[in-house]
Amino acid sequence: MLKESVISELQKIVGKDNVLTAPEALKAYSYDGTTSWIHEPDAVVFPTTTDEVSRIMKLANAEKIPVTPRGGGTNVSGGSVPWLGGIVMTMTKFNKILRVDKENLTATVEPGVVLQDLTMRLAKDGLFFPPDPQSFLGATMGGIISENAGGPAGVKYGVTKQYILGIEVVLANGDIIHLGGRTLKNVVGYDLLHIFISGEGTLGVITKAELKLNPLPQARKTLCVVYDDVAVAGEGVFRVLENGVIPCKIEMIDNWVINRIEEMMPIGLPKDADACLLFEVDGMPEVVEKEAEKIAEITKKYGAKEARIAPNQDEANKYWLARRAGFAAVFGKAKQVFAEDVTVPRGNIPAFIKKIREIAKTFDVEIVVLGHAGDGNLHPAVLTDPANKDHYERALKAVDAIIESAAVEFGGVLSGEHGIGLEKKKFMRKVTEPAVINMMKGIKALIDPNNIMNPGKIWE
Amino acid sequence: MKDLKELKKIEQFSDQCMKCGFCSFFCPVYQEEKMETSVARGKNFLIKEVLAGRQEFTPEMGDIIGKCLLCKRCAANCPSKTQIDRVVVGARAQMVKEKGLGAIKNFAFRKVMANRKAFGKYARLMQKFQWMMPTTEGKIKHLPDFVKGLGKRNFPALSKTFLRDQVKPVYKPQNGQQAKMRVGFFMGCAMDFVYPELGLKIIDFLTRHGVEVVVPEDQNCCGAAIYFSGDLETGRMLADLNIKAYKDLNVDYIVTGCGTCSSTLKDYQKYLPDNEDQLQRYTEFEKKIKDSTEFIIDILKVPPEEFKLKKEFEGKTATWHDPCHLIRYQNIKDQPRAILKALKGLKFVEMPNADLCCGMGGSFSVYHYDLTKKIALKKMDGIKATGADIVVTACPGCMINLLDNVLLNKMPQKVHHLLELVE
Ligand SMILES: Cc1cc2nc3c(=O)[nH]c(=O)nc-3n(C[C@H](O)[C@H](O)[C@H](O)COP(=O)(O)OP(=O)(O)OC[C@H]3O[C@@H](n4cnc5c(N)ncnc54)[C@H](O)[C@@H]3O)c2cc1C
Ligand code: SF4
Ligand code: SF4
Repeated sequence: MLKESVISELQKIVGKDNVLTAPEALKAYSYDGTTSWIHEPDAVVFPTTTDEVSRIMKLANAEKIPVTPRGGGTNVSGGSVPWLGGIVMTMTKFNKILRVDKENLTATVEPGVVLQDLTMRLAKDGLFFPPDPQSFLGATMGGIISENAGGPAGVKYGVTKQYILGIEVVLANGDIIHLGGRTLKNVVGYDLLHIFISGEGTLGVITKAELKLNPLPQARKTLCVVYDDVAVAGEGVFRVLENGVIPCKIEMIDNWVINRIEEMMPIGLPKDADACLLFEVDGMPEVVEKEAEKIAEITKKYGAKEARIAPNQDEANKYWLARRAGFAAVFGKAKQVFAEDVTVPRGNIPAFIKKIREIAKTFDVEIVVLGHAGDGNLHPAVLTDPANKDHYERALKAVDAIIESAAVEFGGVLSGEHGIGLEKKKFMRKVTEPAVINMMKGIKALIDPNNIMNPGKIWE
Repeated sequence: MKDLKELKKIEQFSDQCMKCGFCSFFCPVYQEEKMETSVARGKNFLIKEVLAGRQEFTPEMGDIIGKCLLCKRCAANCPSKTQIDRVVVGARAQMVKEKGLGAIKNFAFRKVMANRKAFGKYARLMQKFQWMMPTTEGKIKHLPDFVKGLGKRNFPALSKTFLRDQVKPVYKPQNGQQAKMRVGFFMGCAMDFVYPELGLKIIDFLTRHGVEVVVPEDQNCCGAAIYFSGDLETGRMLADLNIKAYKDLNVDYIVTGCGTCSSTLKDYQKYLPDNEDQLQRYTEFEKKIKDSTEFIIDILKVPPEEFKLKKEFEGKTATWHDPCHLIRYQNIKDQPRAILKALKGLKFVEMPNADLCCGMGGSFSVYHYDLTKKIALKKMDGIKATGADIVVTACPGCMINLLDNVLLNKMPQKVHHLLELVE
């Protein structure tokens, strides 16, 4: 519970309509995109300027009230759940696109801008922001930066951190600082910008960002490549790359997902395939034609059963719609899903997939793979039901085994794009050197001595 | 433990939601308010809390489930296909069960709208005083509060003679044609009280194309505003009255020119049944229902050359507004466009976001008129972008709201029902 005086102070800062304390509203801000992490805040505030954010932080810091920044609430690691209560600072009304600079290929945005709104605006100028988290309909720029989000296009374009030139941040004590700048090159002291990117809201509130953009490619082409063996599909990924084609996307859907998609919306995916790889190439029209043919040739040479080049954009859209539906298909089929986010170096994909299959057998649980194969971020998902205790226990063990093998045996990482938040906390210590955790703690203590910024997350 | 019967009915639908938040992009209410309580995900979460016994139907909760246009934009774009419309209607029904209808709705629904004669009398009473109201434009006058809370808005004048006082019980096909089909005409309140000429027009079109039309006198309000507000009991009463009205008429189809009515009549089976018997009866009834646009294109199969543009629309540019109840409730989007494109002499331009809700949402606009106006503004932007002279649609509900907002925004466009354009 917050003191009356704090509430009325908050109301003074952002206006009465922008402070919510009704129990119903608090419930509606107790969750994010995860299934099971739920905790209510004591108040929800909607700032619309940097100054308001700064005044709220000063107040919270003086009163030692936890503050959890929140964008679209689409993260899947518990990042925007106010684990210790306090204030949820929602950025959805702080959402203007301030400038699109065609000459410098940059844009300046407020944190609450939703990625799809930005994409639509940039398209008018023939530009785009390359990172493409598949939650673009709900995810905000503040959340995307704080989770260092990335999507299928990561294969060719990389992830969010490669496209943030500078940010404005309000620190826990209300100070407003600027990191990075508006230039492509910048070597002025320590690169502090990048500890805020993927900071998951634990270091400060991002109130503005300078984005690096690309011109929209003129043409695209999609391929659906069919495999009898999911591990061979895994090999297809690096064979294509080592043979000189860099597609913008390489996604994998396995047999289980293919069949669920076909149940939901039949689009003619091969139901007997063990896995499919979806490729997209983009660029000049002549080049994409050539690249598509080359991918077909290489994948067939390395064991693909069939490579379909989508004849037109309509068919291509169908494949990508199916890929996006995959996520819902998985979640719709089980009471609880542990959607893992482990990422392995590309060359280890086939071996890792074999391992996942073994783990599924050992613990007798369903594990499906639908992921960003192009960057080794495979999203193995373990399906279970908490009501079935025995099954649930086995599922938990399977998750442990997956993480262990990915991170240790195959030289990968615990999270490729979803962040640690609450969900992956218990694994964080297992896979991170104590000295590194201590360094994180030290940084946190320096920037936020009262530990009010999104407390209870990552390493805590 | 409380009896959560109505909520139990929709529990399976609310379980579908995986909290991805994608609906926020599509929800017209969220797009204005940017708050989690306005969007499907938030509503669904809170309704699940009620189901779990952790949340009561407080006034705030009532407000949250009330603030939904039932436009289905969220559901149409939901990766898990969560039918939030059914969840929200179920929650409203549960709330009505526990708390009763608010006094206003109680009078309007149970005493006025549910009784066709009383509705007519009440409407006529207002019609008498209409001359006292300031005229805004042509036929448009400010009516006194229709249902308390409707407030001051541009509302089309009530007709001097209501449709049901003008129609005949049976219309034979014209020019001595052999009847291809026998069809029951369902007028709906708006056409009855506000747009009777339109009703006659549709009957004329049908009979000219060889259809025999019957218009049963004891047909009633379709019940949309009533059951979508959670008053399922009155909804069922109306459903049964309507089913009875057409029962012995031996018609092949029941056709209406109101998109909301056609979807409402079709969906009795979705929202209303309390037992197997009702489910069966309503499902049976659904099979006969056709929206006028759907009927003309899919059933009558009127060829393009037989659509003639009325003289007064010669050379005009038209744009089309997709009513929620056509495009998302009935998946009707190609049929009206086929008619528009067939009309020689008319230029048809698609508006951006043609499928965006106009903001009316039935009684939503009664309680949240300010929001309605804001949501409609986006629609108006779409209309402006086309440079069209006329906005065409096929739902009198949308027509009323579009007209209000076109005038509010001082725009030159006229609003018409699709079949008004056709000779
Ligand atoms: C169906 C689905 C698909 C997804 N696909 C992808 C994908 O392909 N790739 C991917 O990377 N992720 C994906 N995600 C995860 C998620 O969408 C991303 O993590 C996204 O970046 C979160 O953005 P948001 O605005 O919703 O942030 P939130 O969920 O609200 O917050 C995320 C974190 O950022 C912090 N935060 C938010 N705004 C600010 C701010 N202004 N300043 C400081 N901290 C802030 C919060 O405290 C929290 O820790 C997916 C999620 C779903 C549900
Ligand atoms: S889009 Fe569907 S699944 Fe996602 S939050 Fe909304 S209702 Fe739930
Ligand atoms: S039906 Fe319409 S108004 Fe209601 S939650 Fe869905 S999108 Fe929003």
